Amino acid sequence: MDKQKTLCIDYSKCIGCETCEYVCRFVHDVPRIHMIRAASGLMAPLYCRHCEQANCAKVCKRGAIRRDVDGAMVLLPMLCRGCESRQCMLACPYMAIFETDKGVMIVKCDLCAARRQVGQEPACAAMCPCGAIHYVEREAVAGLADEAFCEAEQRVLDCLRPVKGTAAPAPKEPEKP
Amino acid sequence: MEAMNFNFLCDEPPPPSGASVGIVGAGPSGLAAAGYLSCLGHAVEVYDKMPKPGGLMLFGIPGHRIPSARIEAGTLRMARRYGVVFHTHTKICCSAPLFEEEGDHFCTDVKGLGDMVKKHDAIMIATGSWRSRRLEVPGEELPGVCSGLEFLFPIRAARYCAPGVKAPDVAGKRVVVVGAGHSAVDVAHGAAALGAAGVDMLYRRTRAEAPCGSLEIERLEASGVRWHEGCAPTRVLGGDRAAGIEFRRRTPRGEEIETLPADVVVTAIGEVATPPFAKELGLESVRKGEVRWLNMTAIENVFVAGDALTGPSKIGKAVYSGLRAARSLGNWLELKAQNRQTEFSGDEFISREADRFPGGQFKDAPRVRGL
Ligand SMILES: Cc1cc2nc3c(=O)[nH]c(=O)nc-3n(C[C@H](O)[C@H](O)[C@H](O)COP(=O)(O)OP(=O)(O)OC[C@H]3O[C@@H](n4cnc5c(N)ncnc54)[C@H](O)[C@@H]3O)c2cc1C
Ligand code: SF4
Ligand code: SF4
Repeated sequence: MDKQKTLCIDYSKCIGCETCEYVCRFVHDVPRIHMIRAASGLMAPLYCRHCEQANCAKVCKRGAIRRDVDGAMVLLPMLCRGCESRQCMLACPYMAIFETDKGVMIVKCDLCAARRQVGQEPACAAMCPCGAIHYVEREAVAGLADEAFCEAEQRVLDCLRPVKGTAAPAPKEPEKP
Repeated sequence: MEAMNFNFLCDEPPPPSGASVGIVGAGPSGLAAAGYLSCLGHAVEVYDKMPKPGGLMLFGIPGHRIPSARIEAGTLRMARRYGVVFHTHTKICCSAPLFEEEGDHFCTDVKGLGDMVKKHDAIMIATGSWRSRRLEVPGEELPGVCSGLEFLFPIRAARYCAPGVKAPDVAGKRVVVVGAGHSAVDVAHGAAALGAAGVDMLYRRTRAEAPCGSLEIERLEASGVRWHEGCAPTRVLGGDRAAGIEFRRRTPRGEEIETLPADVVVTAIGEVATPPFAKELGLESVRKGEVRWLNMTAIENVFVAGDALTGPSKIGKAVYSGLRAARSLGNWLELKAQNRQTEFSGDEFISREADRFPGGQFKDAPRVRGL
């Protein structure tokens, strides 16, 4: 297999404008990248990293999350039965699988599979006004992670995976004006 | 820096369709629409009163938040590769009467909507939302009080050498910023960068509720800005110019009246939409979703998108609105060419879509779980 590509958001460059989520909505109807606002007021778009060791796929008993030829972890709706336990959602360390009211009731990023077929990059990366979203080979991610990147990433992860024993700050939907 | 790709839906310019579309306003909504429509092969011309396309992405939001090179590269790419024509310094104005054969001609760069309607097969209004909301407190009219956009705009425009605009003079002065949205944050950063003696920010609610997010506030504090929450201004103090601000502070003991000295007071509490011809276009009913065709105004071939329609929002929403309106416009042009445009009236899809957006929150936003 060729080198696997993934998305990588530099949260230190992100201004929380939600362009990624809304462009994703335009392309896919139900967005697979989603802005959260933590109780602390931190805003960040959550997104799938197409992990090398993908927890979401490991916990799905029906094998409904699989790696495609380009390395993207994709959800196969015909195998997914939309089970109530939502194991995949809970297993993802980045909270990158979302609940919706449509279809099998969950959505995840497939790196714009249909766009990749015709040689295009994921739409969010094309349209982020800040150039904060990179579509790169997995090996290149480390090279992007400078100090500001890591600090911002850590802030976001701290909201998602609170240290054991402390109260979990629940994210709420971003305030819509 | 790599270009923001407004033409993300097509890799190659398609063959020309023969139709011509005019877009008024080159902010994120207008540019997203231009990208979509040029991907359909329409000849797109974009009009903007500013010296460069980009809208508030260039002239409102400071460059350290959005790299202007990326926006400029995106519009340049659209112009070079997709033949989109940008008419900058061109205001589409309300003073020229609609549909009149000979509208008054004020100056070369003011065009009436009537001219547009004749020149193009369809038009998109994407003029944003630029009139600042007022505090409505005594003393607001004093010199030294200005709105967020009035403050920010010259900082950016000065860089683009617009004649007659000067960066605000705040060096050595005490600046109070009212609000906690993105513009308030940008004003506070701008004031600090221009050498203000002190910057205080007043917000009526708490930091966790601030629309700009808490991270921005921490960044401001790190650069020396003082943050005051639970504070609602009641009066701007001063004789012939602003000298301070009086406000109510919510404390555990109840409300207390306090004052802060200020040479400059910037109110950044939001903007209201002022599209040209709001009445003629019947924008009220478009907002309520009473439409024959998505994003179409009372004039058949005139569409509207972005903050001009929804009021101040965010770049993401403006982009979505522009894309959606562009798709609607494109569909309409195609059916009209076949004389089938009546087919869509009363269409269930349209009413469902209109219900979904505009009007704030999507009912079908994705949800997270397990925190
Ligand atoms: C100070 C400030 C900071 C902000 N920060 C953020 C942020 O961090 N993140 C975020 O998501 N959003 C932010 N926003 C909001 C965001 O900028 C807007 O929601 C968005 O730009 C709206 O896009 P638009 O295309 O509808 O309009 P605009 O960007 O306002 O563009 C409208 C364009 O139309 C032109 N125009 C207007 N009238 C005419 C006319 N009569 N003839 C010709 N041209 C005309 C204008 O020159 C302008 O270029 C901020 C807004 C402000 C004011
Ligand atoms: S489009 Fe870019 S800047 Fe805007 S929220 Fe998404 S990642 Fe952040
Ligand atoms: S959904 Fe989560 S666990 Fe699965 S590949 Fe994406 S980031 Fe990794």
